[in-house]
Amino acid sequence: MNVVFAVKQYISKMIEDSGPGMKVLLMDKETTGIVSMVYTQSEILQKEVYLFERIDSQNREIMKHLKAICFLRPTKENVNYLIQELRRPKYSIYFIYFSNVISKSDVKSLAEADEQEVVAEVQEFYGDYIAVNPHLFSLNILGCCQGRNWDPVQLSRATQGLTALLLSLKKCPMIRYQLSSEAAKRLAECVKQVITKEYELFEFRRTEVPPLLLILDRCDDAITPLLNQWTYQAMVHELLGINNNRIDLSRVPGISKDLREVVLSAENDEFYANNMYLNFAEIGSNIKNLMEDFQKKKPKEQQKLESIADMKAFVENYPQFKKMSGTVSKHVTVVGELSRLVSERNLLEVSEVEQELACQNDHSSALQNVKRLLQSPKVTEFDAARLVMLYALHYERHSSNSLPGLMMDLRNKGVSEKYRKLVSTVVEYGGKRVRGSDLFSPKDAVAITKQFLKGLKGVENVYTQHQPFLHETLDHLIKGKLKENLYPYLGPSTLRDRPQDIIVFIIGGATYEEALTVYNLNRTTPGVRIVLGGTTVHNTKSFLEEVLASGLHSRSKDSSQVTSRLASRR
Amino acid sequence: MASLDDPGEVREGFLCPLCLKDLQSFYHLQSHYEEEHSGEDGDVKGQIKSAVRSHLSDFKKHRAARIDHYVVEVNKLIIRLEKLTAFDRTNTESAKIRAIEKSVVPWVNDQDVPFCPDCGNKFSIRNRRHHCRLCGSIMCKKCMELISLPLANKLTSASKDSLSPHTSPSQSPNSVHGSRRASISSVSSVSSVLDEKDDDRIRCCTHCKDTLLKREQQIDEKEHTPDIVKLYEKLRLCMEKVDQKAPEYIRMAASLNAGETTYSLEHASDLRVEVQKVYELIDALSKKILTLDLKQDPPPHPNTLRLQRMIRYSATLFVQEKLLGLMSLPTKEQFEELKEKRKQEVERKKILERRATLESQQRLEERRSDLVSHATNGEVVSLRGGPAPLRKAEGWLPLSGGQGQIEDSDPLLQQIHNITSFIRQAKAAGRMDEVRTLQENLRQLQDEYDQQQTEKAIELSRRQAEEEDLQREQLQMLREREREREREQFQAASLHMRTRSLDFREIRPFQLEPGREPRNHLAHALDLGCSPAPSSAAPKTPSPSLALEPIRVWSGPPALGQEFFPQSTTSQHNEVPSLNPFDEEDLSSPAAEGTASPPAAEPSLGPPACVLKEYNPFEEEEEEEAVAGNPFTSPDSPAPSPFDEEDGHPHQRPSGPPVPGNPFEEAPCTNPFEVDSESGQEGEEPIEEELLLQQIDNIKAYIFDAKQCGRLDEVEVLTENLRELKHTLAKQKGGAD
Repeated sequence: MNVVFAVKQYISKMIEDSGPGMKVLLMDKETTGIVSMVYTQSEILQKEVYLFERIDSQNREIMKHLKAICFLRPTKENVNYLIQELRRPKYSIYFIYFSNVISKSDVKSLAEADEQEVVAEVQEFYGDYIAVNPHLFSLNILGCCQGRNWDPVQLSRATQGLTALLLSLKKCPMIRYQLSSEAAKRLAECVKQVITKEYELFEFRRTEVPPLLLILDRCDDAITPLLNQWTYQAMVHELLGINNNRIDLSRVPGISKDLREVVLSAENDEFYANNMYLNFAEIGSNIKNLMEDFQKKKPKEQQKLESIADMKAFVENYPQFKKMSGTVSKHVTVVGELSRLVSERNLLEVSEVEQELACQNDHSSALQNVKRLLQSPKVTEFDAARLVMLYALHYERHSSNSLPGLMMDLRNKGVSEKYRKLVSTVVEYGGKRVRGSDLFSPKDAVAITKQFLKGLKGVENVYTQHQPFLHETLDHLIKGKLKENLYPYLGPSTLRDRPQDIIVFIIGGATYEEALTVYNLNRTTPGVRIVLGGTTVHNTKSFLEEVLASGLHSRSKDSSQVTSRLASRR
Repeated sequence: MASLDDPGEVREGFLCPLCLKDLQSFYHLQSHYEEEHSGEDGDVKGQIKSAVRSHLSDFKKHRAARIDHYVVEVNKLIIRLEKLTAFDRTNTESAKIRAIEKSVVPWVNDQDVPFCPDCGNKFSIRNRRHHCRLCGSIMCKKCMELISLPLANKLTSASKDSLSPHTSPSQSPNSVHGSRRASISSVSSVSSVLDEKDDDRIRCCTHCKDTLLKREQQIDEKEHTPDIVKLYEKLRLCMEKVDQKAPEYIRMAASLNAGETTYSLEHASDLRVEVQKVYELIDALSKKILTLDLKQDPPPHPNTLRLQRMIRYSATLFVQEKLLGLMSLPTKEQFEELKEKRKQEVERKKILERRATLESQQRLEERRSDLVSHATNGEVVSLRGGPAPLRKAEGWLPLSGGQGQIEDSDPLLQQIHNITSFIRQAKAAGRMDEVRTLQENLRQLQDEYDQQQTEKAIELSRRQAEEEDLQREQLQMLREREREREREQFQAASLHMRTRSLDFREIRPFQLEPGREPRNHLAHALDLGCSPAPSSAAPKTPSPSLALEPIRVWSGPPALGQEFFPQSTTSQHNEVPSLNPFDEEDLSSPAAEGTASPPAAEPSLGPPACVLKEYNPFEEEEEEEAVAGNPFTSPDSPAPSPFDEEDGHPHQRPSGPPVPGNPFEEAPCTNPFEVDSESGQEGEEPIEEELLLQQIDNIKAYIFDAKQCGRLDEVEVLTENLRELKHTLAKQKGGAD
């Protein structure tokens, strides 16, 4: 149940199978991302892959001394490119791997194009998803839904991604889905359909307890993606944005040229791997340690290299030293930028109020705090809008709801109309009416007691008190307490034992906070292995884009939305 | 793991099958296995964990059907082509040719085809019909293709040799013109006959020609192996060899350094030399690949260049990674001591088990005394001619690094101390000849020290003049570039790189390419790289200290008068590498060198060009090979011995002066092809110098690298190192005088 490893294994296998000799890797846009997440440049170079080309690139030279490894998604477009390629082969021999199921007719047309017999292999390797962390995958789909229903193109992509994931992990799961979401049901059915159709592929050795696929919808928890984050990976994504492990730092003031874009990959960055789930304060001290460590290794001005032996030792260690200095400067820059943004945007204060809005039920105090922050000039319009969104989501039905007043405050603060409109759109997206379960008030006696106790003890860290709703869902699932009326099984059979291998997929995107939750659950629950996936991995910005792209509008158009939804449901 | 050695113990419980850790419970074991070993078990099971599905058989089935059809088609055409070219076309009447042609393939009836099937134009008296001689179809003149006889021959004989024309083209068809006119037999086919006779080509349709051209391409490719492939195969062979030998060597070296006697020292050092030779070869080969076809006129496709750079880059990575893991060996003497020590330690362990605190103290003392005796012994032996073969194995002990300069921070002073003590010991041993040599050394060392002091003073005054120097330097650069531009205008493309290399600012983009660009490219193409390198447009501000460095060094000695000679030689030597990047292949154009180095610019320009010559440390090594044959030796180099990156010998440092006579030290760093021939004492000293030069170059490369990355503090440290090194070099040369 390690998705990074699963994809990496596929890539390694295809490279190994092609035998010795110079190789070129032919990919499409998506598979380029897939490969880049699991392999580093030097790693792949060691395997004699020297060139990386896009199948759609027209400027490729004929190089008959290279072997081509094609790793492509089985789209119509790619098949056509490949047919053209085979008609006039540019490389000596072709090893073709599709990232998903390919139709027999496509295989036939490819075969007919291969007049020069250059194809040596045609296989399906199901690495059709972006492996972000060992337990987190994404499909990089932004805007998967139209209204409350799937964009058909994205539905098929999501189905492909999920089935590929299941195949790569060798799981033939039972499926549960969130009843309140039409999209979840739809996707569950599509996945089931593929499993039925390709039953030969899904014939794996039966485990005692069958694996479980749980499909959720983002709209059940619109709170989590709206919160500021304080663990390293999540924070970097929230404040700087992570795109296929790359972070764009070009907007950082005074950034040096080679740090414009940095790569944070737990696979080959030890510091990152050790710190990605730690909170900001801990990272600060770890960075300090890293620096000190570095300073120790680095010859200082004072302890000049006085003998040739010193110099020699220094020079011998130089490559290592250089590598380390690269790591140091990267993380120092990133953390430095994070703390700059935190103080510039007053994020500590903002986050405290966010957490209060998300976790506590004291309306008057919350309202007061939001109002106070809206007056603060340091708070950006983005943060102001998200505070109001959180307020609107939490106190949507509160008797003394003063959302209109807050909206006025937003207007007075000069927050742009785009953001002000988004407040009601977010409520439309993830408000009480859509939610299948209650996000805010505790449901059972245990939970109430817990919260009561929590209130007594006070929280250890005000900024990280929020637990994503996913935590509760998974906790219930692991304990076998997840209600079947809210999360029904697809098909007649149900799971009698506690599940062991769980794959959770969130339509509308997961978040790194949820990834952290899953990571902790994996660590603390023996015998349970969870993999989290989403149509994408959100930060607040991308989540708001997703909400916007869903085409939901403020309540004025509500009725038409409902009718269209009904119509589409039929 | 220690408990495993104990055969008496039987372990049970939830043990991990791979690391034998006791995990207490099933769940812990499972999660441990997932976490720790999930990456390994792919190999354990020998097969891929994830699901796959092959379409190959399906694919082959469909292809076979198609291929049969295709192959039959091609073969049919070739057979017909053969028939059409089997007779002597020039000396055959066109009527007869026509008859033969018609017998090969039945021609389509003219009346059946009113329009050209390819372009759709109507046939008429003006737009006449033409028949494809290979399939018999009809097309208009515009759509008609021709196959020349040479091509036909090549296709039919499927060999390149037949490219030389069978029928000489001079035999023009005009001579038979008349007869052709006479042969008009039918009005309907008049159109086909009115053109010149086809005695050196065969008419065909586009489809047939296309098929044949594809076939030709296939023939070509089958026979052609590009140079890069040959070189690359050699490169891979070398890498495989390293992969085989290096672990073996590391095992040996580790064991030997621990004082064990499992392996013989000689064997290990032989292996070391062997492995290092392979590294040299890898470096040379990859460099050759890098510069392959670079000067060709149309320049190779960018992808070809990218491929070459990537190969070079990966070879560099390979060497870097593996070479650094290649630890050094102890000398025979050290080895004896190590053995002794190990024995002692084992004994001591038994005795002193309970007195752990005391023991640690003792060991510290012991080690210190050991060190002194090491150094001494190593020294004495290295002076003797006899046991030289062993000395190549001289290695660094891990503890020797920092302790050498306990007493003196100045290496020279330390050396003086060392030598004094050697002399004492040699006297005690009654070795008068050695005493003599040592005394000579001592004298030189003392001279050296005085000189150094003087230089330090000079250095101070230099520093004041630094501003001035910088300006002068830049002026020179500007002037040089001016000249450069003029020269460039009339110099051939192949020469211009070399010329440019004199001006280090200009050369930068080029130098960056091999090392840096690949990274860039990849980062763009695949985003795999850890951090994308900066674009190659380097800032035009060489740090003043760097630019000044050479000048400071070179201007030092003249003040002392005595070192003038070595200075000029060195500058010449440095110049070789500065011209280098393409030197290897570029022997054909020696003229460029002459024009490129106007004497006026020589002394000051050589070194700076060298500074920025290459950013890749491994390139330097190779370039240094050019210097390997350096005749300017320093017999009693009083300066501390050069430190070879590949072949670290910490003990040489304190015992620097007499080291030169070691024939084996050169092995790792010289050109692999030269090593065998050089065994005498003569060739040894230059190597020392070469090592030094190489080191200098390495540091220069690091400086350059560091500057590229904007790490100015490092630059400073490195610059400092560089300066010291240069002093050493200068002194060594001084000693040679």
